Amino acid sequence: MAQVVFSSWGRNVVDNRSGGETKEATFRLPTTFDGETVLGAFMGWDGIILYDKEVDVPAMAAEYMRRLQTLYVCGKCTPGKKGTRVAMDALGAIVAGKGKESDLAVIEELAELLKNCKCTLCPTSMVPVFDAVKHFRDDFVAYINGSKSPANRHRLVHKYTAPCQDKCPAHIDIPAYIEAIKEYRYDEALEVIRDNMPLPSVCGRVCPHPCETACRRKQVDEPISIMVLKRTASDYEWQHNIKPPMVPKPRKNKTVGIIGAGPAGVAAAYYLALEGYTSTIYEALPEGFGGGMIAVGIPPYRMPRHLLQRDIDIICSMGSEIKYGVRVGKDISLAELKQKHDAVFIAPGAHRSKPMGVEGEDKGYKGFLRGGIDFLREAYMKQPTGMGKKVCVVGGGNTAIDCVRVALREGAEESTLLYRRSRKEMPADVWEVDGADEEGVRFEFQVLPTKILVDANEQVTGVECVRMALGEPDASGRRRPEPVPGSEFVVECDTVIPAIGQDPDLSFIPPDLGIDITKWNTVVTKYVPLKGADGKGLLDGMGNPLSRILITDMDGVFAGGDAEIGPLTVVACIGNAHRAARVIQRWLEEGKAYLADDDLMEDILNYLPVYDKNEQVPWLDSVARAHQTEVHGKERASKGNYQEVELGFKDTQAVKEAERCLRCYRMAMIAV
Amino acid sequence: MVTLTIDGRDVTVPKGSTILEAARQIGITIPTLCWLEKVSPTGACRICAVEIEGIDRTMTACNTPVKEGIKVTTQSEKLAEIRRKVMELMLVNHPLDCPVCDAAGECDLQNCTYGLQAAKPEYAANLERHKIRYDWPLIESDPNRCILCEKCVKVDHEVVGCDAIHVVNRGDSTIIDTVDGKPLNCEFCGNCVGVCPTGTLISKPFKFRGRPWSFTVTKSVCGFCSTGCQIEYHSRNNRVERVTSDDSTYNSGNLCINGRFGYSYLNAVGRLNAPLVGGAKSDWNGAMAFAVGKLQEIVKTHGGGAVAGIGSPRVTNEESFLFQKLLREGVGTGNIDSEARLGYAQTKTILWERLGSSGAGSSIDRLDRAGAILVVGCDLNAESTGMEYRVIKAATKNDAKLVLANPRAVKLKKYANVHLQNRPGAELALVSGLVKAIVDEGLENKEFVASRTSGFDTLKSSLAGQSLADLAAAAGVTEAELLDAARNLGGKADVAIVFGADVIRGVARSETVRAIADLALVLGAPAGEQGGVFPVEQKNNIQGMLDMGVSPDFLPGYKPAAAPGKDLWQIVEGIEQGSIKALYLLGCNPLVSFPENARIRAALAKLDLLIVQDIQSSDLSSMAHVVFPGAAAAEKSGSFTTPDNRIQCLNRAVTPPGEAREDWDILAEVYSRLTGKPHARNVAEVTAELKVETGIYDGSCQMNDGRCSGLIKAMPPAPSVYGFGTLPSIPPAVAGKQPFTLIVGAIGFHNGTMSTASENNLTVSAEGYIEIAAEDAARIGIADGARLKVSSPAGSMNGPAKVSNKLQPGILFAPHHFAGLNASALLPAGSSFVGVTVEKG
Repeated sequence: MAQVVFSSWGRNVVDNRSGGETKEATFRLPTTFDGETVLGAFMGWDGIILYDKEVDVPAMAAEYMRRLQTLYVCGKCTPGKKGTRVAMDALGAIVAGKGKESDLAVIEELAELLKNCKCTLCPTSMVPVFDAVKHFRDDFVAYINGSKSPANRHRLVHKYTAPCQDKCPAHIDIPAYIEAIKEYRYDEALEVIRDNMPLPSVCGRVCPHPCETACRRKQVDEPISIMVLKRTASDYEWQHNIKPPMVPKPRKNKTVGIIGAGPAGVAAAYYLALEGYTSTIYEALPEGFGGGMIAVGIPPYRMPRHLLQRDIDIICSMGSEIKYGVRVGKDISLAELKQKHDAVFIAPGAHRSKPMGVEGEDKGYKGFLRGGIDFLREAYMKQPTGMGKKVCVVGGGNTAIDCVRVALREGAEESTLLYRRSRKEMPADVWEVDGADEEGVRFEFQVLPTKILVDANEQVTGVECVRMALGEPDASGRRRPEPVPGSEFVVECDTVIPAIGQDPDLSFIPPDLGIDITKWNTVVTKYVPLKGADGKGLLDGMGNPLSRILITDMDGVFAGGDAEIGPLTVVACIGNAHRAARVIQRWLEEGKAYLADDDLMEDILNYLPVYDKNEQVPWLDSVARAHQTEVHGKERASKGNYQEVELGFKDTQAVKEAERCLRCYRMAMIAV
Repeated sequence: MVTLTIDGRDVTVPKGSTILEAARQIGITIPTLCWLEKVSPTGACRICAVEIEGIDRTMTACNTPVKEGIKVTTQSEKLAEIRRKVMELMLVNHPLDCPVCDAAGECDLQNCTYGLQAAKPEYAANLERHKIRYDWPLIESDPNRCILCEKCVKVDHEVVGCDAIHVVNRGDSTIIDTVDGKPLNCEFCGNCVGVCPTGTLISKPFKFRGRPWSFTVTKSVCGFCSTGCQIEYHSRNNRVERVTSDDSTYNSGNLCINGRFGYSYLNAVGRLNAPLVGGAKSDWNGAMAFAVGKLQEIVKTHGGGAVAGIGSPRVTNEESFLFQKLLREGVGTGNIDSEARLGYAQTKTILWERLGSSGAGSSIDRLDRAGAILVVGCDLNAESTGMEYRVIKAATKNDAKLVLANPRAVKLKKYANVHLQNRPGAELALVSGLVKAIVDEGLENKEFVASRTSGFDTLKSSLAGQSLADLAAAAGVTEAELLDAARNLGGKADVAIVFGADVIRGVARSETVRAIADLALVLGAPAGEQGGVFPVEQKNNIQGMLDMGVSPDFLPGYKPAAAPGKDLWQIVEGIEQGSIKALYLLGCNPLVSFPENARIRAALAKLDLLIVQDIQSSDLSSMAHVVFPGAAAAEKSGSFTTPDNRIQCLNRAVTPPGEAREDWDILAEVYSRLTGKPHARNVAEVTAELKVETGIYDGSCQMNDGRCSGLIKAMPPAPSVYGFGTLPSIPPAVAGKQPFTLIVGAIGFHNGTMSTASENNLTVSAEGYIEIAAEDAARIGIADGARLKVSSPAGSMNGPAKVSNKLQPGILFAPHHFAGLNASALLPAGSSFVGVTVEKG
């Protein structure tokens, strides 16, 4: 197990250099960088972590400052621009054997002065440098008096990031686009967004915005409205009829076949197109329903279809083609695709409803619908849904909420949601639940459907339920809901929609191709075996290996999106597909599928993570978070009314909101 | 309102104010360097750092909004040390060329360094120098002097909307440069130079012309376009060496290329500096005697009606007044007109009738906060740059919706929510289509229409016979575009309608202006607290000239003439027919900027007496029997009136060159010699006379720190009920016989013909050109810069092609400023476009 030699991380000094009793310190860092090369040291905004005492700390600090100043310092504030340059030259002189001891005092002084900077990049950069000078002073002095010269034993890898950017599954450079909006440069903002997010109108509207949970402004008052600012940039282009500026590289002669025109499929096509690779996307749904789960899962009052289509049209205009109405496995086989294209990307999504496990659900009763996701798809495609007037939806996720809200718009007189836990335990986004509430949805929390009731014609008449209460803590320490004896009751309804969840339908993958499938019905992809200090493999939030290469066990076949991750979010699928596109490009050009330094750093920092909810953030809380305009009242959910409910910011409101951003950039560097 | 404490003193300010604004309110000075009121706060220099109780770091006063109850400290030992150290960092490797730096003496960096006592260099870094950009026209950039305050970039982006310069590179190498690193290629308004606090961005024509403190600074009013920007002339040795504008002015210190750099026409070699008789140098006595004698002879033989005069939108109100007085009283003729006859005069009359005088020219600062703006038939960048800045401000800083209607993709397109790319000359169909779309969609301002108008039903019934599809087709746009535009304009509280030369000088101008009046009423534009109706004219004093009665049908103050004289085209006909023998041209050159000017040139040759009073020698002055050398705006006193009725006094910065005299003085003497009555002694005397004579002035002019105020035009109140008109039936568009349509108009680099004598303007725009769509150029086989010959029934021209992506195929554009190209010669009277043929030149 990796032993910490020295650490100042989190302002907590652990120094095991002088021997004696070893003090323990563990960090959420892997023992290796890439599964093989041992992590020697980590330097960043909160200090230094040294695992290998051979790491040359002064040289690392000098290189840290050099890269920061020459690659990332924005130059837009005096102490940042000039102070880091003074520090860089001082450290450079020391390592070059031309330093003076007074340079160390200057660095210490700058660490204090730079706290007056405009943003956090330069002040945080002084933290590890200051720690180095303070705790490794002898090494600096050795350089200064000529008794030491650089050894270059370690390779240094760095990454520039921010808490929000790290938390965003697509790793959008959020501070950059917010800064652009602050400067009234919506076009530049959108350009930054598109670097990592090819569906800006979508993720400016329906993203669960995990980034906002990692916003340091939260420690001052409330997080920046990161998502709606993204919408602002995207809407500006649309509302001003601006032609998107992307220019793909010259076309190359290799093509990629993509299964599914969902977020993952079109995102991969977008980034491959930018690199000059043409993709053909095979989409089972008919034309007009590109966008996968966005088109058939997310309601139009949250995501206007013409804007989704605009984003898709832009992607297609860059040199990709979507073949609609082609179901792989039926109209064309996976093997044929493999033949036709130089690489194949499997991204069919998760469109199969899960059974809810209730008595009668398999009887084919009239009014018992197949599943939430099927109901939504049929409603959007204007197909008969089988819905009556009194609708019961079972589930607690966003799909369940979409179902109760869409049911109203499809003309339901009553729309009820049944969920076995409490409101605050719902996996659905809070604002979606509130939205349903406002539209008149009835909620039954902590109830478990036990039986579907029908009349003589096998028409659903109700759902028998039992109330749930929290029982004794189980092995995991979590109190599980348990039925309360004798609390049975009936919810009358003519329609029951189970919206328990969905999983991918991977029946098109023949078993003989060697592509492995997990027990959760997702595609297995290769990964970098990163291990924690305890020797266990590192996992992401979905329980998948942390650092996945996204190539399947079959050469040239890659997988991504919900079918690889498990059902998650648009933004996660896009981040995942963007990585897949990079790996596919490497595979097409170098014949190897691998993760580059930057991909690995991304995963390592994400695991760390960059955001620290306990950090004290001194700032004046004089501007509250802005809220977008919203249509209110039950009428917004009247029959047939799919008009957008949330209306975005005015531009000037967006600029004011962007001005709240603290621009929390920071740089990490590792020695391996 | 929010109450806070600054340095122990309570202050109450509106919510959203910054700490800096709050401090200023109670007279507490917090040092700043990068802060510039007219752009978004930058927070770059960190000099305005203050302490707030309970906040464990400094906050910058310039961009930190106030909060109830906070206790702010602006002066402390700690703050003094932070500010001093930050200044010391700012000065690391700053060049020590202050002795030869143009900014020395007016350098904010020097002042701040001094003020914060950053006396000794405490920090050092390796020296790296950036290339000084000597290769930019008009503006020189020395990035080594830059403190990266971003004022230039922000003014360029937020005020001007040109986006020519950016912050580029990273770290200590960060500089302000063009995006592609190529020489600056922009509008050359020089507003970046104006706001630069150091010697980083400097004016090349001004470089080494003198130390800032050695100039006499004269506050005055720009004499180019009709925006009426307030400027300062910096002069020495009787030469204007630069023009600046202060941020406290009406125009917030923002100028355009003409305002900032156009002054070099004052020093042009071609200036008329002595009277000429028969082309030969004369003295004033000889020239006056000749002209007056000849005039008297013609009047005696043929009567006063044989004499005509064409006035000038360039000269002062006082001069226009004297000019009409000279002709009406001194000569006894009512034949007086001007280029306002090309459209502005009629436009103003119609608007006056329909919207009342106050509705006919809303004050242009009402554009800033308009809720929706329609700019139709106007390239505001070229026709009134200062108004364009205001439209940009409305669109970007105040969420105004913007609809642009123009056959060309002019600069405002990038801010437009809808660009209606109409067919040239189809503005009437377009405006009618907008009225129709707004009425059909029920987007009219219902409250205004119900309470303040009459005849709405008549208007509606006049529209009933035409479908929106037909109107869209006639306008050359789609029905969906019209509806989109209607939705952007309709239902807004404060609507502004801006229209320019393509309407005012275009075909069917009267019907179009009437339709615009109806559109304005439908949208409630006259009733808003902001917005209004804004006819745009390119020359500075066209409004004042009309106010003074330089018009065949109106005497000073719009009193109807008992017997109207001949108008512009009747004068031309009169000359052609021989009934007009003598013509007095005051400050105008019909041979370049008037349509059908080949015809005018032929007519002028027939005159017995052509008096040209002008400042610049030209073809026209060489045709004249007598030339009186006049004075430019910088060289005289008097007043100008903008189309939005702001009366502003000029201050004389320099004297006219050589023998040249102020125009009022020349006119007064001619009048005096003709009538034997005494000569007006000074401008004030003329002003006093015209105040009485016109009856439209109120108050009196008071000079306050070099700027006048107090004199206003007494505008009758807005009508209580506005009457709708009826819209004419629009015939379907018929394809023109000619394969191409040429639009002739203004460009931003020039104003009238005056700036074509300005070396500075010529540095970036030396000659005329013919702009052609890339598709057409490819089809004809014309490369950028190759010669093109363009012919219309009225004439032809030969000029270099400018291949462009801003034109629809089939449309050409040529600027009207250049005598060499003389694009206006191709136009028929009463149109701003013409069908033409194109061939390789």
